[in-house]
This record gives sequence, structure tokens and C-alpha cells, in this order.
Amino acid sequence: MAGSQENADSDVCATYQRIIQDEQLSPPLAAILTLTESIVKSNAGTMFELVQALNDAAKVLKKQIPNSISLNAGCELFIAFVTLFPHESDSFAELKTELVQQGQKYAAEAISFRDKIAEATLGFIKDDSVILTHSYSRVVMKALLHAHKTKRISVFVTEARPRGLGLKTHEALTAAGIPCTVVLDSAVAYVMDRVDFVMVGSEAVVESGGLINAVGSNQMAIIAKAANKPFYALAESYKFHRLFPLSQYDLPTHNPTILSFAALQRRPTPPDKFSHDTVASGQSVARDGISETGIAPPPTEMKMTTEQMSRNPSVDYTRPDLISLVFSDVGILTPEGVSQYLVGMFAG
Amino acid sequence: MSPAPTLDIQIQPPPNGDLNHVGQQKSQKQMTKAERRELQEKQRAAKAAAKGGTANGINGKAPNNVKQGPTPSTSNAPAPKKGAKAPETPIRPRSQSVSRKDMKAASAAIPDASMEKARGLRIFAHFGLPKPVSAAKGEIHPTIVRLALQFANFKIAGANARCIATLTAFKTVIQDYTTPPNTTLSRHLMTHLSPQISHLVAARPMSVTMGNAIRQLKLEISGSDIDLPEQDAKDALCLKIDNYIRDRIIIAGQVIQETAGSKIKDGDVILTYARSSIVEKVLLGAHEDGRDFSVIVVDSRPMLEGKRLLSVLSTAGIQCTYLLLPALGSVINEVSMVLVGAHSIHSNGSVFSRAGTALVAMIAKQHSVPVVVCCETYKYSEGVQLDSFTKNELAPIGDLFSSFPLTKPREALTLENRPNLEILNPLYDLTPPTSITAVVTEVGVIPPNSISSIPVALGRLL
Repeated sequence: MAGSQENADSDVCATYQRIIQDEQLSPPLAAILTLTESIVKSNAGTMFELVQALNDAAKVLKKQIPNSISLNAGCELFIAFVTLFPHESDSFAELKTELVQQGQKYAAEAISFRDKIAEATLGFIKDDSVILTHSYSRVVMKALLHAHKTKRISVFVTEARPRGLGLKTHEALTAAGIPCTVVLDSAVAYVMDRVDFVMVGSEAVVESGGLINAVGSNQMAIIAKAANKPFYALAESYKFHRLFPLSQYDLPTHNPTILSFAALQRRPTPPDKFSHDTVASGQSVARDGISETGIAPPPTEMKMTTEQMSRNPSVDYTRPDLISLVFSDVGILTPEGVSQYLVGMFAG
Repeated sequence: MSPAPTLDIQIQPPPNGDLNHVGQQKSQKQMTKAERRELQEKQRAAKAAAKGGTANGINGKAPNNVKQGPTPSTSNAPAPKKGAKAPETPIRPRSQSVSRKDMKAASAAIPDASMEKARGLRIFAHFGLPKPVSAAKGEIHPTIVRLALQFANFKIAGANARCIATLTAFKTVIQDYTTPPNTTLSRHLMTHLSPQISHLVAARPMSVTMGNAIRQLKLEISGSDIDLPEQDAKDALCLKIDNYIRDRIIIAGQVIQETAGSKIKDGDVILTYARSSIVEKVLLGAHEDGRDFSVIVVDSRPMLEGKRLLSVLSTAGIQCTYLLLPALGSVINEVSMVLVGAHSIHSNGSVFSRAGTALVAMIAKQHSVPVVVCCETYKYSEGVQLDSFTKNELAPIGDLFSSFPLTKPREALTLENRPNLEILNPLYDLTPPTSITAVVTEVGVIPPNSISSIPVALGRLL
């Protein structure tokens, strides 16, 4: 029994991993498709059992897949849909096929949401705009490429450490003929006065009207606010998530390792640390000798270790008062509008 | 406006002694006119001190007083002494035995008198005063009479408690009601309930919760089937009331307890202000779930309600810190979340809650501490309130060291009010939506600026 359970668990994950390979699909959609497949496979005989099976599958996904916030949004959306689905069919098997069809149809339709959003943003992108974006987002890419067809735009993109996805954006935009420059995450404040507005994608849009996105979005929003530049978030409606983070540490992705301090027993081993330091300072001396002006690539010794990296968050939460507008397929919403939409959508 | 004359203070007898004075006066009917006037002025000054709020003592005494002096002339005589006129106002509405002539005299004095009553704080005169229960008009059910007394004495004070108590009392009233001939229950019951409601409102201004519940009850009564046998209709109504209490208060509380409890993490420091039944539940629930957190109970005079919360929490084994409002600034940096209850919540997202809550919320906001309000949706009010000044109540004047609920009769406490000293204790204040992070309701966690979507959410529920 336990073995078969485990089997089913890994099966769900494998399905998800297979589906997410599709470049077009974002985690929430992949989650919805995974759940539709688990409906096909499940031998549930009643609605109650089915919903329970779906909940279990969602739980497994949440546990196994790192960074589960947007995935969770998709799971919740689909389970809510299944629960509220009017069952008029005669047999339960029929209902199940109906649900599967609906799920697949939604996922297929949802792909086009990005085009809708790209169309919506067009009115806000003026000719000769300079846009700052963060990391890599499919919907932002779509919007930028769409705008490029009719308007001259240039883009600054942040490097977005640690995954460096900003380089991916840079590559794609340059290939499309859009002037694009990669800036350091720490140079956002430096570049802010040169841009017309900030446009970012999203991991999830939450009930407060705030935004969860790759780490660095929050500081970008704060700087944009300080510089009085509009901060636009792009989010497909399946990324609307019933979650209300009160602070950065209230996010489901937060765990005790993030921001923890290294264990104290590391301290009394000075030889290792000492040699590390000397190497680093030696490097810097050498570099000083070579050039004063150019920024030399950081020496390999200065890179963060995986262990240090693991103490860092992958996403952060942006407060609603920092966001100017949220562009979604249900319309262009203010953050308050998002929260009202969400309250209406999930109530009852 | 100039404050009341100082002479009155010197000769002011303690209000407790009032009854003796009355006795004396009665026996001294043969005094000279001047003596009588002097005595009367003394007495008036005493009552000025006792002020509007004082209870049945004045009520009983009023007729004597009026009978004694040549009413119209004397009530005009001390006109320059402004403070002296105050007693007229409390007397007028209460004593039903006052003759018509006296009434006229009293009403002549109203504009002046009502101004006097407020003294230096005239602008707060509109605040609902805690007042003694007036004589019953019409048929008031004994349960309602008792409840009104409990309201007036703040024995039942919380918004939830008052709503539940009111609905429970109405159940008794409905069960004891018989439809008079030639009318139907759905048309007549409300006319029977109306005086009961106004009797309760006379004891203490109606809370938003009671208002919402009574509106729902009215709806149910008018919708009840005419053809139903009387007992069945009454039972159906009682069931509806039970369901309302269960769904909108009890279950809602449980959902809020769960949702808000999940926001409490290990190692958190939760700050709360005064005492809210729902916050108490949330904290106890989170503690039962094995969450390891500590609580800072902030409290303030005059009611010191937080003491009760403190004893409940510390008995349950939660680590608590107790401090008064002025000390808030020194602990706010250690707090991870502020959790407060509400009296009512308005459609613009502002929260009407125990006086002091706004202060706590604003300080927390200033220090980027999330402020979470726990509030059932039946506390929602369509109206918008912009400040805590247009509508408010006065808290019972608490003794410095007495615990709440009051152990002394209120008349003894009014000692603190003097002709040139008015004690102002507003019961509620308004927390602006900008200093609230989230409102936890049973339909979910809602940011304050989306509170107006609560009816939408409820429309789906019903």
C-alpha cells in the first residue's frame, strides 16, 4: 500500500516535470494539466474521493517541487473549479471526462492570455520608451516583442542573480533587434532615472494586491516608487493566488535556513577562513595593479558557495502600494481591483 | 464659554449626601425665602456636580425639588450662575410625574441648560452617555429589562456578546408573544419588538452588530408565512436566530481563529490591545496547536480590559507581557504582528474599535509591523465614518484602581466630575484603513481597501 502510494507520488511529479518541459507552459498551467492527468488515472468513484485525490496530488506537487507558490495557485484554481463544477452527467465516468476536457481546454485557452496582456500593455508603451525589466518572464517578453512591432523601445534588464535569467532576456531581445543592456541587480537605483517605467512578470499575484516575483522585484518597486516611475506587473489570471503575506517572512517559500546565520562552530576554524581571505586580498591587489577603470570579472574565489546561496530567498513579496497597475487577461487592474477580484472569485 | 462658577465648588456637598439634603429641605419648609433660595442653590450645585449621568437618585428626588421652590422664577434667578442650571436637563426627560407647568419651566431652560451640561467640553455633548435605564414605556419583557440593565452597567460590553445576548433575549420574547386577534404574526410581531429594541437602545446606543442582526430578524419576521400556525412560526423564527448566531458569529469565529492562527509563527511576538473575544480565541487556538509565541497585552484606563485577557492567556500557559499604552513605543520594535478586534468595520476599510486601537495601529504602521484586524463579516457597516468624533460613546467612568466590570455604583464614581472638570472617556476610536495591513474575516483575509467587496463575497455565500 505504502509502496503504491509512493509510486503514485513520484508519478505525479514525473508528469509535472514532463509537462513543464513545454516552453510555453508556466507552472500553474502545468499544475492544472498534471491534475487533469491524475483525474484520468484516478479510480475515484465519487466526487468526494476525486477532490480528495486531487488535494493529495496537489500536496505532493507542493512538497516535491521547489518554489511552489505559482504551482499552488494553479492547483487551487483547478480544485475550486472541480468542486464547483455542476455535475449534471449521468455517470461519474462521464463527469470525469468532462472535467478533463474542461481542464485541457482551459490550459489551451490560457496560452492566449499572454497575447491579450501584450495587447493591453501596448497603450502604455510610448514610442521611444526606455523600459526596465527584471529577470526573465514569458509574458513580459511577449509584451516587449509585441510592442517592438509598432514602437521603438529599448530595454534594461537586470542580471537577476543567482539564476542569471536576465541574460536569457537579453539574448532573446537582442535577437529580435531590440536594444537591450544587462544591468547588475545592484545597479537598479543607478539606472532608474533613465527609464520611463518598470515592467515585471510575476510568480503570483496575491490577495492584498501585492506581487510575488523573483527576488529583487521588491527593491526595484521601492526604487521606482522613490523615483516616481510607474511600476507595472504583468500576470495571467491563473496566477492570482489566494494568499495574504503579511511580510516577506510570511511567504510559504520562507524557511528557517533562509537568512539564518552560519552555525557558530565554523568560527573556531580560522586557518580555512584566513587562507581564503589572503587569497582574496591578494587577488584584489593584483587587480588594482592591472587596471583601475574597468570592472574586472570577480575572481572565482569571491563567488558565493552553494551553502551561502541556500541562505537566500528565491522570491520576494512586493507590497500593493508600490505597484501602479497589474495587467492581466481580465483587464488592467489597480492592486485594490486585484484584491476585490480575488475576494469575489474565491468567496463561497 | 466660561467655566462654571467657583463658589459652587466650595459649597458642593458630596452627591452621596444628596438624600440627606432632600430630607432636610423637606423638614425646613418654614424657612425664609432667602434661606430657601440659598439652600436650593446649594442643592443645584451639588446636582451640577452629579451631572447628567447620575442615576435614580436624582430621578427620585426631582419632584420634591420642583415642588418646593416657586419654579419659574427661581429657575431664572440663578441665570448668571451658569453651572447651577445643569440639573434641569437630566430631570426633564426622566421624571414623569413632573407637572405640566414644571415641564414648561424646564423646557424654557433647555438651550441654556444643555449648553451648561457640556461645560468646557461642549463639543462632546453628543457622545452617547452611559445612562441609567429609564422607566419602561409600554410592555417591556422582563428579559429585556434585565438585559438593558446589564448593558447600562457594562456587564455585557463586547460587540459579539451584546449581539448574542440580544438575540437570545429576543428568542424568549418571541416565545412569550401571542399574536393579538385580527392581525398576523408577520405584521404585528415587529411592533411588539420595537419598544423592546428602543428600551435596549435607551440603555446603551445600539451596536452595529445588533443593528445588522435586528435588520436580519425584521426581514425574517416579515417574510414568515401567514398561514403557518403561530407556534410553528415562532419556532421557525427562533431557529433562524439560532442559525444566525451559529453561522455569523460562532462558526465565523472558528474560521477566523484558524486563518489568523496560521499567521502566527514560532518565535513570534504578538501584540494586542485591550480585550477582544476573537483575538483571545485566536491566541488560545494557536497555543493549542503547539505554536511557540509570546503575547504583549497593551491596556489603558479607564476600563483596563486587558487584565482579563492577561489572566486568561497566562492561565493557558502563554508567555505574556502587560503594559499600558504609554509604554507601547518602547516595545513596538520587538513585535512581529499586531492583532486587534473590532466593534465594527466600515465600507471604506476603517475600523471602529476600542479607544486606543488607532494609536496602536498607527505606531505599528510607523514601525512596519503588520496590523491585523480580526472581524466577523456581520460587523460590516455600509456607512462610512471619517472620524471618531461624529459618533461615539462615553466609557463608564472607571475608578483608578477598580477592576472592570465596575464594582462600585456609578453614582459613587461620578465624584470625579467637578463643575470645572469634565472627564472625557470616549469608548471607541476609528483606525484609518491606511494603518491596517489586513482584515481577517470568515470569507478570507481582505486588505482594508477591498472591504467594500464583503457584500459581494457574502452574496455568494447566501
